[in-house]
Amino acid sequence: MRAFRRKGSGYEASFAPEEARLIVQLTEQIGAMLAEPGAGDAAVLRLLPDAYPDDAEAAAEFRRFTAEGLADRKVLNGQTVAATLAGAAVATSATKVRLDEQQAQAWIRAVSDIRLTIATRLGIERDDDRPIPDEPLGDIYDWLAFVQDSLVVAMQGRL
Amino acid sequence: MPDLLEDVQLDVDHAEQTILGSPWVTIVWNDPVNLMSYVSYVFRSYFGFSQKEADRRMMQVHAEGRAVVATGPREEMERHVEAMHDFGLWATLQKADE
Repeated sequence: MRAFRRKGSGYEASFAPEEARLIVQLTEQIGAMLAEPGAGDAAVLRLLPDAYPDDAEAAAEFRRFTAEGLADRKVLNGQTVAATLAGAAVATSATKVRLDEQQAQAWIRAVSDIRLTIATRLGIERDDDRPIPDEPLGDIYDWLAFVQDSLVVAMQGRL
Repeated sequence: MPDLLEDVQLDVDHAEQTILGSPWVTIVWNDPVNLMSYVSYVFRSYFGFSQKEADRRMMQVHAEGRAVVATGPREEMERHVEAMHDFGLWATLQKADE
């Protein structure tokens, strides 16, 4: 993978086919998780947290009015990411991936959702919690941090 | 002769207090996952903070565990919280005096 950088009015990176397929799969898994959220699932609760920490009734009310829209937008962000990687995922070598500003906005949100979900699975709850070394999911978690940071830094230049 | 501007300002203040009641705040909480660069970007791009102010509030989240990022009417704070949840940030709202 070559990190994101500014290119014209958008952003460009390069992904190996297996890297592109991995991100596509992760967005699909999160989409499936959000489509049928099991009540009390820790990852879903982290993606759709309580808005009122000390008022269960107000939190439930907020959830009733916002959760479906939030989940729909998160699924859509994931689908946008998958669409931008479609070419790279079926290529036979590393392929350039170009994003416009709107796609980049979907990307940073979707990658955040993926890392939050992985962190829940890995039990990362405090600042000094680290993935277990050589744990594949932990390597993906760290790699996605690199991917997201490169895109965020490129996007900062446009603010 | 009365100062018209002064009188108008007083009335506006009074009306705001009567209609809105006590203000609410949007709080962003620390999490071990989201990158500092990302949190700062969200604060800059969404709330329109300067780079310096966004970094200051991001560091406050990181060091103190939470930071107030907006103050105002409850409905507006609910919109901000929903937007933060869109970004994957852990945000809540509460009355300012709680």
